[in-house]
Amino acid sequence: MAVADAFSHRDKCAIVGIGATDFSRNSERSDLTLATQAALAAIEDAGLAPQDIDGIVRCESDTVLHSALADSLGIPDLTFWSAVGPGGVAPAAMIGHAVGAILSGQATAVLAFRELNGRSGRRYGQSAVTDAQVGGAGTYDEFFAPYGLLTPGQTFALMAQRHMAEFGTTPEEIGHIALACRARANANPRAQMHDRALTMDEYLNARTIASPLRLYDFCLETDGACAVVVTSTEQAEDLRQPPAVIRAVAHGSVRNPQPGIQAPVLMRESITELPAKTAAKTLYQRAGLGPDDIDVAQIYDCFTITVLLQLEDWGFCKKGEGGQFCASGEIDLGGRLPINTGGGHLSEGYIHGMNHVVEGVRQIRGTSTSQVPNAETCLVTSTPLPPGSALILRRAA
Amino acid sequence: MSRLLPVVDDRDTGGFFEAARHGQLAVRMCNGCDAVLHMPRAYCHHCGSWDGRWQPVAGSGTVYSWSVIEHQVHPAYPVPYTVVLVELDDHPSVRLIGQLPGTPELQIGQHLEVWFDELADGVVLPQWRPCDSA
Repeated sequence: MAVADAFSHRDKCAIVGIGATDFSRNSERSDLTLATQAALAAIEDAGLAPQDIDGIVRCESDTVLHSALADSLGIPDLTFWSAVGPGGVAPAAMIGHAVGAILSGQATAVLAFRELNGRSGRRYGQSAVTDAQVGGAGTYDEFFAPYGLLTPGQTFALMAQRHMAEFGTTPEEIGHIALACRARANANPRAQMHDRALTMDEYLNARTIASPLRLYDFCLETDGACAVVVTSTEQAEDLRQPPAVIRAVAHGSVRNPQPGIQAPVLMRESITELPAKTAAKTLYQRAGLGPDDIDVAQIYDCFTITVLLQLEDWGFCKKGEGGQFCASGEIDLGGRLPINTGGGHLSEGYIHGMNHVVEGVRQIRGTSTSQVPNAETCLVTSTPLPPGSALILRRAA
Repeated sequence: MSRLLPVVDDRDTGGFFEAARHGQLAVRMCNGCDAVLHMPRAYCHHCGSWDGRWQPVAGSGTVYSWSVIEHQVHPAYPVPYTVVLVELDDHPSVRLIGQLPGTPELQIGQHLEVWFDELADGVVLPQWRPCDSA
């Protein structure tokens, strides 16, 4: 028996508290203040006190260290901490670290958080390269940046163009992803795009950023933070909120994943598949579930095309048919798989995948502003470019 | 503002730029089993060898994908320009990046040929341009 089978974590832990700051273009607060506010909200939501927290998991991209947050919150002793990354592949894996810490006896109540001043501070949509000479030291930027390939959006544009060429995917099909996320944001007062409707005409006529991707194919650079608290399912029974039981969590890679953070993935055998495909296989196996069992999903959406590729990788439609799946209304409320019910990165805010975890918990609690009736199972993905992670949340039996 | 210069003396990738300095396109290959090691690295996980070489290859390829960049993100890269992902004729598993001026008409499979752009003294970048055939 494989170790993974012998030591199953299925249903043994739960997300018991969620917290978020407002999402804005300028928070006018420090990263530490954002992290502290989201953490306090999550701890309060769980009915716990900061003194009850004994573990912290952060994202490698957080500027706030675990010790700084523990200090800020007044946590007397951290018996566990870790960091996961890079960036958007972290959130589900961060929950996985919390589960591992709890089930191995290293902590009892673990806080996972992501904070960023992504608009007023370091902007992900701008080139991260500022030196006159670029690359080396394992970045492999020397093969990309000198040619003007400088941002994640440009890398995904190359993947989108290839998908269009291989499978006939159209801009309008991809546009349905932006429209679905926007419609969910219009129902969510916390969403940055709450008050702004989006039509297909507006989508198609928006300026090109990196062809074939247009303005509304890109997520929102955002200031904000999200946090969640994880405990054992047993402990969760005594807490304030109905638990979002962590059915299973998984990391996934691909053969020859390539080094670096972003652009080297263009050297993978396929650039129209993501590590979601391997993460899906592991996660479904661990959960004892398949795509047909998923009621609602929060799909990592740094860009629209990222969603389309994942819908195929996660088995919700056949390879190459993601465009038709989106255009046929299947990702909308009432469709086969409503996605990004808070508005997602595209229209709620870009908290690097952690707001997807928070929204996933809301769906399980029945408190989403776009609630899927009787939703019992929610998939949350953190599977953009590098090896990724994902989890499945369930209502308690 | 001048374009970004690649680091040309990295221990794992410097040979690519050393070859370019001599007007040659080269890929990293394993001397143990002739596997292509791209992105370039020292160790071959196929056969366990640490012994590799920079193999000269034909400077011809085809367009695997492309993007017209119309939103500027760096002062040294005014828009519009086009980024191409090039599949090498000699080794289809190897892809490289090229930058074309403006918004050329492109399609998947369009033939490209390499040329060498001397960005600064001793810093040469392999570049690509459309051509009629391989």
